[in-house]
Order: sequence, then C-alpha cells, then structure tokens
Amino acid sequence: MTMCVITPESRRRRGKGRWAKQRPVIQMFHVSKSFGNDPPTLVDINLDIAKGEFVFLTGPSGAGKTTLLKLIFLAERASKGQVLVAGRNVARLRDSGIPYLRRNIGVVFQDFKLLPRRSVLDNVGFALHVVGTPREVVREKSLRTLKLVGLANKAHLLPPKLSGGEQQRVVIARALVNDPAILLADEPTGNLDPALTVEIMDLLCDVNARGTTIVVATHDATLIQRYQKRTLRLEQGTLVAEEKGARAAQLMVQG
Amino acid sequence: MSLVAKTSYFARTALESLWRSPFIHVVAVLSLAVALTGFGAARVVASQLDRLVESLSGEVELTVYLKADSSDETRAQLVTALEQRTHGKATIVSPEQALARLEAQVPGVRALSKDNPLPWSIEVAVPPSARQAQALREVARKVEQLEAVEAVDFGEAAVDRLEGLAFALRLAGLVVFGLVFLTVVVVVAATLQLAIYARREEIEIQKLVGATNRFVRAPFLIEGALQGLLGALIALGLLLLATHVGWPRLVALLGVLDAVAPAVTLRLAGEVAALGASLGLVGSVLAVRRFLRA
Repeated sequence: MTMCVITPESRRRRGKGRWAKQRPVIQMFHVSKSFGNDPPTLVDINLDIAKGEFVFLTGPSGAGKTTLLKLIFLAERASKGQVLVAGRNVARLRDSGIPYLRRNIGVVFQDFKLLPRRSVLDNVGFALHVVGTPREVVREKSLRTLKLVGLANKAHLLPPKLSGGEQQRVVIARALVNDPAILLADEPTGNLDPALTVEIMDLLCDVNARGTTIVVATHDATLIQRYQKRTLRLEQGTLVAEEKGARAAQLMVQG
Repeated sequence: MSLVAKTSYFARTALESLWRSPFIHVVAVLSLAVALTGFGAARVVASQLDRLVESLSGEVELTVYLKADSSDETRAQLVTALEQRTHGKATIVSPEQALARLEAQVPGVRALSKDNPLPWSIEVAVPPSARQAQALREVARKVEQLEAVEAVDFGEAAVDRLEGLAFALRLAGLVVFGLVFLTVVVVVAATLQLAIYARREEIEIQKLVGATNRFVRAPFLIEGALQGLLGALIALGLLLLATHVGWPRLVALLGVLDAVAPAVTLRLAGEVAALGASLGLVGSVLAVRRFLRA
C-alpha cells in the first residue's frame, strides 16, 4: 500500500521521463475565471498534467483550488482561456455533452456526498446505473470496486454507520467504479485524522499506480512532504510555483 | 440491453421514492385526488344539468290551431309537413279531444255551451335537436302563413329562458373548471417540487457521476404519472361513492329530486385517469426543471 512512499525518488525520476513523452490529459491555457463583478478567482492559469501523473494542487483557502478542479469537470466554465481534457476543448462542449465528459472523470469531495439512506453498495452502484449498466453487472462491479478499497465486508451497511475514512473510501470506490481516466480529489482528507489520511492517500497512490491520472487539492503540508509529488501552488488565483514534494512543503511552511 | 436496464432502473427508482418518502407523496396524491374529484363531480353535475334542460325542453310544444273549415286531408298533409320540418312528432287533436282535456282540468266546462268552440289543432313535440328558439320561431312563422292555419302557439318565452339558463350554467361551469384546473396545476407542481427538493442531493450526485438530464428526469416523470393515476383512482372511488350511496340518500331525504340518477361512465373514468396522469406529468416536468440547471 505504501510503495509510492518507499521509493519516491526513483519513481519520480523514472516517471519524469515517461511523463515528458506522454500526451497531457489536462491542459489549461491562459485560463481565468471570475464570478460576476467580484475580483477574479483564477487569473491566467497555464498547466499541463500528463496521463498517469499524480499532482498535488495546493495553496491557502480561497486561493481557487476548488474552482480550478471545477473547471476540469465543467461544474464551472472558464471565463477566459482554454481547458483541454484528453485533448478536447471543454470550453466548446455543449451542456448536453457534459455528462459524457464526467463519466471519464471521478470526483472525490471532502464532504463525501454519499446518500445516507442507501447502502454502501447502492452508493457505489449509483454511478453505474447512470450509464445504463444492467443490474447484475452493477452489483458485481460495485462489489469488486469495494473490495479494491477494502470495504467488501461493509457493502450492505448505510454510510452513517461507517467511519470517516471508510466513507471516503466509499466515495473513492464510487469515483472509480466507471474506470475513469482522471480522478479529481478536493481535500479528500480534510475531515480525517492523520491515520485515516495516510490510509486514503495510500489508496489514491494505488489507484494512480494502475494508470489513473490523479489531481489532489490539499492545504496539508505534511501530505505534500510525505508523498513527494509534483505540486502546483495557487495563491490568490495565480499559479505561483510548480515544485516537487519537499521543496513545496518547505515553501508552504515558510510562507 | 441498456434500454431494458434503464427502464427497470427508472421504474424501481420511482417506486422506491414513493416507498421511501410516503408522506410527501400522500400529500401530492391527495391533492391530485381532490382536484380530480372536483373535475369528475363537475362533469357529472354538468351532464345532469344538460339532462335536466333537455327533459324540460322536451315539454316545449308547437301547437298549430287550424281554421274551422279544414279538411281531414289538409290536416294529414300538415302533420306530414310539420313532422318533416321539425323532425318531431305531430298529433292531431280533435275539438272533442280538446274539450275532454279541458273538462278534465276544469270540471263543468262542457256544460257551459252546447257547441264545442274549440278548433282542430295539431300538437308537435319538438325534439332536442330543434329546440333552439331561433329554429322554432322559423317553423312557427312558416306554418302560420299556411292557408288552413289560424294561429301558431309555442312556448317562445320558455324556450328562451331555458336556453339562457343552460348557457349561464355552462359558462359558470367553465369558469369554475378553469379555476379548479389552475389551482390543481399550482398545487401539484408545488408538492412535487417539495418531493424533488427532498432528493436534490441525489440529483446533484447523479449529475456529478455523469447522468444526463433525461436520465435524472425520467424517474420523476414516472413518479408524477403514477401519482396522477393513484389520485384518479381515489377520485373515482369517491365519485362512485357519491353517485351510488350519496345520491339515493339525498333523493330519499329531499323526496323531490327524483330525476335521472347521475352515473360515472367509463368515458368519465378514462377522462379522470388521463387528466390525472397528465397533471402529474406536467407538474413533475415543471418541478424538476429547476433542479436540472446545475
């Protein structure tokens, strides 16, 4: 479970060469986002995230991390600039096309967004019903994904009966059940204690090792230090630094 | 495969929702039932009124008084002509018959005079299709010009009044129906919106994991239609109760209203069911629209 912690340096170096050749799955060119007449939330963002990459998005609260993630799965549209997901310009995507984009993007939130009155299994299966998967397949795939996050034995419980870490794993299972190319996580460990945080992050590392591109927004410096991934730092809506692990964490603690 | 999976998913979701939050759905179904009962009752009352007007108008008669020298042949010709014109039933009344009728109403009349002063006449029962005052007036005017005819009498005022009454009743019915309909749409949409509001979290998550608007909407539409049908079922039950149990009691109580008993026809049942389903559908379409924008 902790393999990406054990050999961060080697993986990073090996990875770097690979990423350079990979086609980027998420790209932003001069992206700005403003709401009404308020000062813009994001200003002139340029970024490249390659297929199979694991990226931290960090910065203080209100820096625009959530908004930036929202631009990727089109919960918001960019006011200016271009957002490309898997080579497609999503700014030009019509509203009717949004559902199909989202089927390729798993999203994980700090506040889980689970249905409290449906079983864990149903919560995961929810994402499969949406794409019209037959019932038996839904059951089988949901169980398999729950096994992946280590919750097969809790499939029939209701989410409120689970611990925070377990609930977050259910959310990850729901995000993964459709085999998305990209997984976006907005403060996935924000509500969890340190032990559970490690549990969730290790799970995300595993998922990443299977080839899923992962973007994690967090303001937790210890995470960034521990996992040594490429880190994009937002401040007041601008991308101020692009650092690797330890240095980024250092900057965070200092700044 | 996918279609079957989706359809069964929609149906299950709709039923599950009815099952999971019964209170809100009971409210929706009941408000629909009340409205549909109102609709059904209005229809029953309207058809009762129509029948009443019809039965009253059935008594409207055209009476043609003939000149004293008219021959049997003329009378027979006139009967045929009148029956053709009015599509009604014409009967010849001889002076003797007329006097006998009068004697029955006013005993002792016969003794007043040795001669029978009453003329030959022809009575025409006017069928409903020719009930309009305008048409009757036309016939009366034409018949009056015939040589053998002395005078024509028909209940012009009565026909006019009946027509006015029927028109007023229809208009009132239409206005009431319009008001009821408007109220129902508002109530149903509001109730369904409440039901959907209870599930906004579910909708949000559905959209997050890539559900199309159509996919989100479908179970709500099924739910709305089901609610409408349930409401219609209750309304029909109430209407049947009213016509089969309530009406006879009312007749027994008042003792005078021994008119034709009202009935819930198959056609009315169909109308109520169709109206219920479409009200539920329209209500849920309006209600769900707001929640799909995000």
